[in-house]
Amino acid sequence: MEWLNAHLLTGLTFLPLLWALMGTLLPAKSSKHWAFAGSLLVFFLSIKLYFGYDPNGAEFQFLEVAEWIPGLGVKYSVGMDGISLWLLLLTTFLSPLVILGSYHSVEEREKEYYTLLLALQTGMMGAFISLDTFLFYVFWEAMLIPMYFLIGIWGGKDRVYAAMKFFVFTMVGSLLMLVAIFFLAYQHKLQFGSFSTALLDLYRVKLDGSGYFSTQGLLFLAFALAFAIKVPLFPLHTWLPDAHVQAPTAGSVILAGVLLKMGGYGFIRFAFPLFPQAVATYQHLFMVLGSVAIVYGAWVAMVQPDMKKLVAYSSVSHMGYVVIGLFSLNAIGVTGSVYQMLNHGISTPALFLLVGMLYERRHTKEIKEYGGITKVMPLFAAAFMIATLSSVALPGTNGFVGEFLILLGTWKANPALAVLATTGVIFGAVYMLWMFQRVMFGPLDNPENKKLKDLSPREAFVLLPLMVAIVVMGVVPNFFFEKMETSVNKLLERTGKLEMVAKNQSRKDEN
Amino acid sequence: MNPLNTVDASLLGLSSSEMSALAPYFWLLFAAVSGMILGVFRILPAKWTVFGVSIFGILMAAASSATQIGMDRMDLFAGMLVADGYSAFFNVLFLGTAGLSLFASMRYLDREKLQYPEFTTLLLFSTLGMMLMASAMDLITLFIALEIMSLSVYVLVGFRRNDRRSNEAAMKYFILGAAASAILLYGSALLYGSTGTFNITEILTRISAKSELMTPVFHLGAWMVMAGFLFKVAAVPFHMWMPDVYEGAPTPITGFMTTGIKAASFAAFVRVFIAVGYGKDLESAIQGRLHDVLWILAVATMLIGNVIALTQTNLKRMLAYSSIAHTGYILVGMLAAPGSESGFAPVVMYLASYTIMNLGAFTILSILAGRGDTGLNLHDLSGLSKRHPWLSFSMAVFLFSMAGIPPTAGFASKYYLLYSAVQAKEVWLVILAVLCSAIAVYYYLRVIVYMYMRDSEQSDARSTLTPALGAFAVAMMVAMTLQIGVLPAKMMAVTRKIVAKL
Repeated sequence: MEWLNAHLLTGLTFLPLLWALMGTLLPAKSSKHWAFAGSLLVFFLSIKLYFGYDPNGAEFQFLEVAEWIPGLGVKYSVGMDGISLWLLLLTTFLSPLVILGSYHSVEEREKEYYTLLLALQTGMMGAFISLDTFLFYVFWEAMLIPMYFLIGIWGGKDRVYAAMKFFVFTMVGSLLMLVAIFFLAYQHKLQFGSFSTALLDLYRVKLDGSGYFSTQGLLFLAFALAFAIKVPLFPLHTWLPDAHVQAPTAGSVILAGVLLKMGGYGFIRFAFPLFPQAVATYQHLFMVLGSVAIVYGAWVAMVQPDMKKLVAYSSVSHMGYVVIGLFSLNAIGVTGSVYQMLNHGISTPALFLLVGMLYERRHTKEIKEYGGITKVMPLFAAAFMIATLSSVALPGTNGFVGEFLILLGTWKANPALAVLATTGVIFGAVYMLWMFQRVMFGPLDNPENKKLKDLSPREAFVLLPLMVAIVVMGVVPNFFFEKMETSVNKLLERTGKLEMVAKNQSRKDEN
Repeated sequence: MNPLNTVDASLLGLSSSEMSALAPYFWLLFAAVSGMILGVFRILPAKWTVFGVSIFGILMAAASSATQIGMDRMDLFAGMLVADGYSAFFNVLFLGTAGLSLFASMRYLDREKLQYPEFTTLLLFSTLGMMLMASAMDLITLFIALEIMSLSVYVLVGFRRNDRRSNEAAMKYFILGAAASAILLYGSALLYGSTGTFNITEILTRISAKSELMTPVFHLGAWMVMAGFLFKVAAVPFHMWMPDVYEGAPTPITGFMTTGIKAASFAAFVRVFIAVGYGKDLESAIQGRLHDVLWILAVATMLIGNVIALTQTNLKRMLAYSSIAHTGYILVGMLAAPGSESGFAPVVMYLASYTIMNLGAFTILSILAGRGDTGLNLHDLSGLSKRHPWLSFSMAVFLFSMAGIPPTAGFASKYYLLYSAVQAKEVWLVILAVLCSAIAVYYYLRVIVYMYMRDSEQSDARSTLTPALGAFAVAMMVAMTLQIGVLPAKMMAVTRKIVAKL
């Protein structure tokens, strides 16, 4: 227990992997219960992080540092701040739901499936706590392996193509980031006399940042490529619809819920503070791309005949908000972005789970196959409604808070793009509500739909926490903000933007 | 029990410390010769006695080599051989390769009805050649060692006498290999002509003392020696022999060649590379030209190896092209070595990791191969994960490692290698290298696709029992791949120490 308190982050991160390894010794039939128990345990333990994190304390808390590869200045260094706190909790929160949600949908090779899911959780949590670029890269890449198998083995018809595309896209992006990490470590040696890949050391490295293709600019692009592919930012998003459509429900949930956040988190933790001048240089380019993603994602989502593909493109659109919020480079926009990442991590998994439940019953995701489902599945329809409203950002749900803050922040940075992005909100309402209408209302004319069963207690239990989270996050956002506020300010300070914001503020006060 | 006790060291003119430095070679020679005798006299069934005595010899040799890794450099036979940490490290690597290849081949030879003791003996002689190559300090010794290694392998490549592909491979390898040896020998002669010595360190001392020794003859000699080595390591444009030879050779021998021969050639290459003055700022001409030419060769090797591997459907051919690509990465490390603080350590570490993962993959292929080395096409692996879950898992580990994905040895070594190249200001080369390894991801993953994501094609695909020895070898290599991948610090420290005194 003593050890666990001192190494809470390490313990929590590797517990799922260890649990999975122990699970390989058990008979295949019990593997799902074992995995569920493990993920639940991790979730309850992770609540300790919430109470342990002091927003007024040090920037990174629960720090652990150990020598790993001394010759190359690589340390095993982990810690978390207010932003990673929420992303970690999101991961541990979704994990048991995902496992419970796949109880009936996965019937072959169960043991491998749950082992991979738990291994994936270790990879995701590890990436969120890494304070060393090398360590981050290791987790970032290692995470691909379980996801690749999840899509490739338990996915749909074109699963191999989707899995390969997912892997190769992410790999190409991250390899250039690896070169940038080498370069940074080498610059640290030139400036401070020793190699280091530790993030806090690299923050101090001074690099030429004037112009688009200065040292900072190029390094920023190398990092940004990796993160933009993961987010995914238009025009690098093409792997996402394939991966989502082909992945099993759990894969889609984890992909949308956590993996996409990895991109946004990468910008926050690495790209922004490491290359402040380059971020300012590229600010508008990325905001334009983000706005295009919002509108383009929404338009494409509108015409999708497949529900899962529709939700996938809605992810492209929603993650566009995250990007413009981040690149607005002011406290409101960044806070909104972090919040939007959490929202998207709640509402999109809920939608994927709901679509998955419908798919388990009817084995089709085509919208035109459905209609009038409300009449046979009232509970299901209610849950679908809440998730849909969260996705279209109705006030009172979590989506509203995030998008509102982002648009406000964007307005400050670039009013024209804010207007463009706001049209995305309208299109968002159109495609989501239109899908809802076509699936849920209308005549119940397909005979196969008449015998659909409503949510089972297990399914209701999977969805309930997500519904509660949607409402809670919409009503008391301050509960979340108060833990992340100082971290967001710290980020802006490192990016060199906090001062500006404060100055503008005081100028306004004078007026 | 120690048979060497009966030899009076002073009669041989060797001091006891020299004797112990030579112990690995003697142990291996002892094993090879007793294997030959046991094979001829057949007092007992040759199969297991030869195997036993070989493994015993390898273990003893590896044990005595392992103790020498930390030791100081010692010149032997008037500087013709050297026993230092570098050679001891490579000796352990070669002996490990030989031992694990033997493990992999026992069942294979039974199946192919090739269970002759000559196989084992030749393998040991070839290993002896490799060990001598890594410790040769004299161009003539180097050449002899190279020939001991190569001649044994020529025979082993053609060991499936009734198979035409095997014959073709042996013939091709022999002719091209002989030509390469001749070029190497001619180059050595020119180096001797211009510097007056065969000794590798002496060459460097003399040319650094007197720069006028660097005549055109010296340059020509240096280039010819380089070309000889580039042939042996299969760098583009000297790579043509490799895929055919790899495909035609018996699978365990392919594994042995792709790791042992490559590591041995690189081990000697590094010594000669230093000796001709690369990275010593002796003369900008040799530095610059060597650098530029090798730069182009490295890029071409990585690119051609990876791109052609994309289209291969036979696993042995695919791994052959991937092996060419890995040569390219190692050349990147060689180019960068003088400019980085870790020197040649990343090259050595990469060779070690490469040996482990590649040998592992070939051991699995030896286990899976059908009669006559068939059944090694991609589609033959369909649904393998259901028939052989552990073999598939191991193969996946090796493939991820070759693709350079953490947490595996391949990733750690590639990281180390490219890191040193960035220090040497070879940023563009590093970018090209990582883009090439992104290409590689595709064909490595495709194997995994077949193993895990497709169903078996033949409905009667039976799961044969995995031979215990092969399984043991595979398990060892999986453990090592993951161990180096997760905790590479130890390996990095060891390699850095052994290259410090090169």
